[in-house]
Amino acid sequence: MVRERTVFHVDVNSAYLSWEAVWRLQHGSTLDLRTIPSVVGGDAESRHGIVLTKSIPAKKFGIQTGEVLWQARQKCPNLVVVPPNYSLYMMCHQALLDLLHDFSPNVQVFSIDEAFIEYTGSESVQGDAVAAAYRLKDRIRNELGFTVNVGVGPNKLLAKMAGEFSKPDKVHTCWPEEIASKMWPLPVGELFGVGRATTPKLQRLNIMTIGDLANAPDEMLARHLKSYGALLKASAQGQEFSDVGPDFRPPMKGIGNSSTIPFDCDTLQEAKLVLLSLTEMVCMRLRQTGLCARLVSVSIRNSSMNGRGHQHRMDAATDNTFRIYETACRLFGEMWQGPSEKIRNFGVRVSDLSLADFMQMSILQPYDERKKRLDDTLDRIRFRYGTQSVQRAAFLASGIAPVMGGVPEENFPVMSNIV
Amino acid sequence: MKAIIQKQQLLDAIVMVQKAVMQKATLPILEGIYLEAGEQLTLVGNCFDLGIACTADADIREKGAIVIQARMFGEIIRRLPDALISIETANGKVKIECMNTVFDIKGMDAESYPLPPAYQEDTVVTLSQGTFREMIHQTLFAVSQDDNRRIMTGILLETKDGGMSLVALDGFRMAVSRMLLKQNDAMRVVIPGRNMSEILKILNNSEEEVRIVKTGSMVAFEMKNCRIVSKTIDGEFMNYHGYIPTQYETVVVLNRREFEDSLERASLISSDDRRYPVRLHVTGDQMIVFSTAEMGSSKENIGVRNEGGDLQIGFNPKFLIDALKVIPDDNIKLSFNSQIGPAIINPIEGERYLFLILPVRIKA
Repeated sequence: MVRERTVFHVDVNSAYLSWEAVWRLQHGSTLDLRTIPSVVGGDAESRHGIVLTKSIPAKKFGIQTGEVLWQARQKCPNLVVVPPNYSLYMMCHQALLDLLHDFSPNVQVFSIDEAFIEYTGSESVQGDAVAAAYRLKDRIRNELGFTVNVGVGPNKLLAKMAGEFSKPDKVHTCWPEEIASKMWPLPVGELFGVGRATTPKLQRLNIMTIGDLANAPDEMLARHLKSYGALLKASAQGQEFSDVGPDFRPPMKGIGNSSTIPFDCDTLQEAKLVLLSLTEMVCMRLRQTGLCARLVSVSIRNSSMNGRGHQHRMDAATDNTFRIYETACRLFGEMWQGPSEKIRNFGVRVSDLSLADFMQMSILQPYDERKKRLDDTLDRIRFRYGTQSVQRAAFLASGIAPVMGGVPEENFPVMSNIV
Repeated sequence: MKAIIQKQQLLDAIVMVQKAVMQKATLPILEGIYLEAGEQLTLVGNCFDLGIACTADADIREKGAIVIQARMFGEIIRRLPDALISIETANGKVKIECMNTVFDIKGMDAESYPLPPAYQEDTVVTLSQGTFREMIHQTLFAVSQDDNRRIMTGILLETKDGGMSLVALDGFRMAVSRMLLKQNDAMRVVIPGRNMSEILKILNNSEEEVRIVKTGSMVAFEMKNCRIVSKTIDGEFMNYHGYIPTQYETVVVLNRREFEDSLERASLISSDDRRYPVRLHVTGDQMIVFSTAEMGSSKENIGVRNEGGDLQIGFNPKFLIDALKVIPDDNIKLSFNSQIGPAIINPIEGERYLFLILPVRIKA
């Protein structure tokens, strides 16, 4: 049967972990991380890394994404923890996208491990949607080595809901006639757009399942949730009309990088190294995306968990690591109370972005062609041989990683506006 | 007090001093206009950064002073018929009479009004209002709006080597306006751009004199019926001479109007927010002005007299247009050194003005 509209939602199962597992298998490992309790999370040695992704066996121990590592280890003492690998994920992301384009020209990146495909109109070429979804899933497994869930529905919302039904390596549909049977029995928190803040609100209204929400009186929803109530109800009824765009990621507003360090930092020298290390990754990503930034923000949190931040607008937009690092150091200097204050967490963020193709020169901040060439050269070496392949001498014997920071979540803001 | 004055004269004075009255102040008296009947009628507005005092001819029947809420006073006078107005105070109230209309409104105690302080004359510069007006007009647009660098939110007024200059720069461009001045004291002050724009509105386009008086951390501008006192901005202004190149690779002479029109057209398609530059390509005695943006592209030729090498360079068109707009001459000189060095706009002869504009570096 050819439907009026068909959308696929493709979601990589335990993305970071699967990708790491596949990479290890291809490089001679005999152990498949996906078959044992394992997680991808911060630095294994550090105190405060968190779980980024978990394997399905790890899930059985009750380990949750976002949980701190030591807690996860308490639940499962044999837990294998592997560090994140940003460039590997970018590679896998690209490979996935290339394959998706074989099925439809219209692919929307939704996050690093999720995408929508507009299948409408492809039936005449690719055949029945569900059969194609199976082919897609199997091709990814066979050619790329990791598994995905494919959700098939009449719009992005229902396709995404279908993709979540059961994992891994599955194809599910959620057609309008299946909403009542497949989606309505689910807890209301599973609905896209219902998060931590909205769930308790709905539960207080005795709305426990998506079905309850779909059948709730408009007036009650409007009273408690304003106009968002009507939107949620429409979602619960499976209504959603947005297009699958080639790339509907909202324009990037800023790039940030933060890290909880494995020791209490109480010297300026160490603090500067941490800031430099964080800035390196921020600026690599800035240059990779072809942007310059004008606003630099630094945030710190001390051992009593008090946090604060300062920001500075530079005289001109730049993508130069050293320039941004200098500004970050100055901001840190403004905030830090001195050695008595022990810093545990540092964050560096740049925003007010503009295209690097057209860089407005400044009287006060002269352009330095040599610094630009240095940045570009370092980027090329690191891209080819890994971020640790070349490092600044200041990091030698410092015990601080020369480039800190992981996955560019902000390249893929998960909450793009699909509803 | 009691004074009788022509409506238009009073209104003109109110409009002038209102520029220095706070819109919203913590103390009600600061939202008022100070009114004093002496030999003449004097009106004062003062917000500490800027104070304006204005005198108007009036028939003074009884001397005295009072403060009136500025907005209401202005609105009342504006709406009165064009006739003689009588202002009289009694028991803290102000009676405003004009033909058949009478207003009786509350006044505030003149004693507690913070008048701008009397000042000593440290250094004095005198020039015509019309000239000063043009100089402010030529530099004001380049004042920085960024409060991070306070010094750049002001205009530098400097007398040196038999001349006076105004200089403003915002980091991306700089405007310098100069005039010859025979005998004057050496002065170097930075005046807030916001105050300069108010002063610009008060100056008239005539040969009448304005005396500029520096005194401590203030600078006063004295005209026939009006005295303006402005705070100065502390700190060292940039050594702007250092930014101006001493020699150029490419120098073209061209028609200002033609260039400005052409830039306006080119910037139609390069929408501002994505910061697409307009490109200039000097080749022989031609300058090609072209722009490419998401919407499309444009291209046109301008005939120039090229006294140097060929060059390709990009600019934010607004920065060029802002400068071209305030130049009175038909023909100008445009000089460059490189794709990332500044462009300089000069008169063909003399040094009355100089505009320095930093380009947009276009990635190859």
